[in-house]
Amino acid sequence: MTMQQLRRRRFSFPIDLLLSGLVLLVLGLFVLIPIAWMISTSLKSQYGAMQQPPQWIPSVITFENYQKLLDPRNEAGQRFLRYLRNSLVVSGATTVLGTAVAVPAAYAFSRFRFPGRRFLFITILVRNMFPAVVFLIPLFIVMRTVGLVDHQASLVITYMSFGLPLSIWLLKGFYDNIPADLEEAALVDGATRFQAFRQVIMPLSTPGIVAAAIYVFIQAWNEYVYALTFLNSDELLTLPVGLQRYFSEFVTDWPGLMASSFVMSIPVVVLFLVLQRFFVQALTEGALKS
Amino acid sequence: MIRSSGQPITTPVRPTPQARTQQFWTGLRKAGSDYLYILPALLVLLFVVGYPIGYTVALSFYDTPPSLPGKYWTGLTNYRTILSNPEFWHVTLNTLYWTIPSTVLAFILGVPAALALNRRLPLQGFLRGLLLIPWVISNVTTAYVWRWLYHSDFGLINGFLLQLGIIDRPLQFLDSIRLVMPSLIVVNVWKDFPFVMVMTLAGLQTVPRELLEAAAIDGANAWQRFWRITIPYLQNVLFVTFVLQLISNLNHFTIPWLMTGGGPARASQIWSIDIYTMAFQSLQFGMASAYSTLVFGIILLLAYFYVRALTTQEGVNR
Repeated sequence: MTMQQLRRRRFSFPIDLLLSGLVLLVLGLFVLIPIAWMISTSLKSQYGAMQQPPQWIPSVITFENYQKLLDPRNEAGQRFLRYLRNSLVVSGATTVLGTAVAVPAAYAFSRFRFPGRRFLFITILVRNMFPAVVFLIPLFIVMRTVGLVDHQASLVITYMSFGLPLSIWLLKGFYDNIPADLEEAALVDGATRFQAFRQVIMPLSTPGIVAAAIYVFIQAWNEYVYALTFLNSDELLTLPVGLQRYFSEFVTDWPGLMASSFVMSIPVVVLFLVLQRFFVQALTEGALKS
Repeated sequence: MIRSSGQPITTPVRPTPQARTQQFWTGLRKAGSDYLYILPALLVLLFVVGYPIGYTVALSFYDTPPSLPGKYWTGLTNYRTILSNPEFWHVTLNTLYWTIPSTVLAFILGVPAALALNRRLPLQGFLRGLLLIPWVISNVTTAYVWRWLYHSDFGLINGFLLQLGIIDRPLQFLDSIRLVMPSLIVVNVWKDFPFVMVMTLAGLQTVPRELLEAAAIDGANAWQRFWRITIPYLQNVLFVTFVLQLISNLNHFTIPWLMTGGGPARASQIWSIDIYTMAFQSLQFGMASAYSTLVFGIILLLAYFYVRALTTQEGVNR
């Protein structure tokens, strides 16, 4: 007899199901209203956005805010597209490098029993706990010393270190679940340890690697404080900081700001929604059963 | 790793310190190539984490006057200056006012959401995806969208409340000393409850179904099953998530910075904003380093509980 059957037998009226539905409805609205309002505003003219009472569906729908952002022929469009490209370059580089560093480290933590392993693993986890501002001053000074201030490489290096702890943790959990017999079979067949890792284990851990990579990408794409501090030149800015400069020059153009916020959210939301199954699976298998 | 009653009767012979050192070095030599796998990660972390921590602590003992080049040893003066300034304690209270309600409310919304999503419902995958959106959206987008929602003249919230006749003139959500913190906390909860939800959801997968079924057959009602079985299994995940949330809120910067900049009249000034302005606007790097080190110490204390919870969890599962 399954839980469902039992529950159905016990309650003639499914109170808990109703309660669940209610909770999800309320939270769904809480989440959705700001997002819907962002989209609605982005389709209004400057004048249309200032109507009271507020209009959910604009009486005049216009795409001019998006046209302005995405048209490379005018100055505003050029700037926005440049920020977009910078964000892609920085986040892309961070993702590739960060994953390349995390995968072997996670494998080593899962399989090898070298001295200091526990200490190092805990150190990496603890890194997770010191976000942004505590590291801001020393990193700024370090970057100034090595001449990386106002250089996108400073962001790539910093963002890599943000993503590492969780990626290593996730992936270690994944490797713990892959039986060691598989590599041993490969070793018996004459493969080196690294070949066994490369050709047998890595393909099996694709869901974990994908999840870790998405996580790193999203973090890098969204980061604000370091980009604000490390970069000065307008040519180098990433979207989160670029937007601020872009819009504070004029009277706040809310529809334009909402349109650009929406465009900025699309890549991460789409990436996440398409791959969320991977992500939740990896979080469950990786983080909790490790 | 077993801590409880499973103590063996005869204690194993402890190796002498010399033997242990020797063991360490032979282990190190044998494991040599294994380190290659973690070397890149270690280098990144050393450069971006280890060195900066050391540097901050060192710099906190120096005066770095913005007008003069170089730095001058002052011992504990920076710490004394900070701790004796009433403004620091005001900001500390603000930080707690920001952190504790944000964290608690994220749990009050996130845990029920996870419980609701954990049963077979129509559109389950879709709903989970929808509720996770705030978590993947950037803090910057979140801050702008909510600033617009809170706008005193053209904002949706004021418009809605006026229309319903609940208020007769617009509320100054972000410009009133009394309302600014609650307004910011709502935004933070919107952004963070999905994280609590997804962690709880992951934790719920570890609750054995057979146990719940057995309890149901034995006549335990839903409430008893929840408190006696589900919650004990979730305890560790909830604790770890709670500490992680506390720490990330204690350090939060972007949302208040972009929405109020710490104002009005420093009513939403919190630690990270204080440190940031001290360093990058007043250019007092030494003082800001001492401030960072203080915050760092407080977090280290919390981190200790976090690591302990993680390691006991590991011990239980082995």
